[in-house]
Amino acid sequence: MRGYRETHEMDCERVGDEGLQGDRMDVLYGEADAAVRARVEEHVAACAACREEMAALRSVRRDLRAWRRPTARPTFTPRGLVLPRWAAAAALLLLGFGATLGVTGYASLRRSLAEQEARAGDLERRHRDTVQALEAALRGRPPATLDTTALLAGLDARIDERLRASEARQSERLDRRLASVEERADAQRRVDMARVAASLSYLDGRHGAQLARTNELVGYVIEASAQKR
Amino acid sequence: MGRTDEELVEACQGGEGSAFDVLVGRWEDRIRGAAYRFLGSEEEARDVAQEAFLKAYRSLSGFKREARFSSWLYQIATNLCRDRLRRRKTRATVSLEELEEAGPVMVETGPGAHDQLLALDLARAVRDAVESLPEEQREVVILKEYQDLTFLEIAQALGVPVSTVKTRLYRGLGQLRRRLEREGVRGRAPVPAPAP
Repeated sequence: MRGYRETHEMDCERVGDEGLQGDRMDVLYGEADAAVRARVEEHVAACAACREEMAALRSVRRDLRAWRRPTARPTFTPRGLVLPRWAAAAALLLLGFGATLGVTGYASLRRSLAEQEARAGDLERRHRDTVQALEAALRGRPPATLDTTALLAGLDARIDERLRASEARQSERLDRRLASVEERADAQRRVDMARVAASLSYLDGRHGAQLARTNELVGYVIEASAQKR
Repeated sequence: MGRTDEELVEACQGGEGSAFDVLVGRWEDRIRGAAYRFLGSEEEARDVAQEAFLKAYRSLSGFKREARFSSWLYQIATNLCRDRLRRRKTRATVSLEELEEAGPVMVETGPGAHDQLLALDLARAVRDAVESLPEEQREVVILKEYQDLTFLEIAQALGVPVSTVKTRLYRGLGQLRRRLEREGVRGRAPVPAPAP
């Protein structure tokens, strides 16, 4: 079999004609209009190399379809599934056990549902009786009147009373705190005065002692000068 | 009759957020498909698709009607794939598991087993051949063959003239043909019966 390039280059006189290449692509992919198709067909009818090439390109296009995109893997493929006998037997056993459980469960569920319904019916009857008894009792009693004005007045009075009590408590607490503050300030003042007095007497004392010492030294000086004379 | 992509984009730009959900539903699978072909990994393709839609949503206010929405979306996705490929040291490879998912995988004994093996072999050869193409040709081949975009849409998505798209595709197909011939697998795909 001769290669494409060899055949094409050797035999087609329009090799390298990009216009013709484009037209052939249009025809190959079904995008050519009638004029282009006629042009290509005319050339291909007369050119064995291009005829062969078009057939080869169609064949390549068919081959390209072999590369398919993966589809979602099926979760269960019966045709390809091969199980050992022991596994199949175990599966059957499990299936049977499951089915038995299912049937038993279903019967049990039905029974409990029936019991539940009976209990609900009984409860409903009792409620209905109670409601009827209450309605009968209400029918036998005179209608109650509600004095809303008196109720509101009472409520107002209670609110006022609470407000007054709260104000009194606040005032009392304030007085106590003021008294405490005054007392503390007085004590502090007394402490400060005592400190000042102590400091003054200390200074006076030191000053007095120093004066006495000076007088004594002056006395020594006078006495010494008298003896010298 | 549903709204066109461009009408949905306009609705999004007008504040109708749910219109974008319709666009995502319409294009997500195809964008993922393209990203898978570019990157060779379904997981990465999913990430790229999400990223592409996020990017598109954020830039929707700047989208102009000069190109189709789908072309613009493919452009974003293609650029994201290019970035990822550049970040990679080595070319992406598809695991055998993924490849088997792609083709007729249930190889059984008995009649038909030989054909299945041949199909699997062809799929692997085609994937390798497409991956071996230069980036410019690979992008065009993928967008045309596997995404079925028109030449104009591809040109808009890649930002090149239509004639360049056709030239790249022509060269890409030629390279694929030569490579598949060398591998001895070209022409294995069944020829469809002619239309009546």
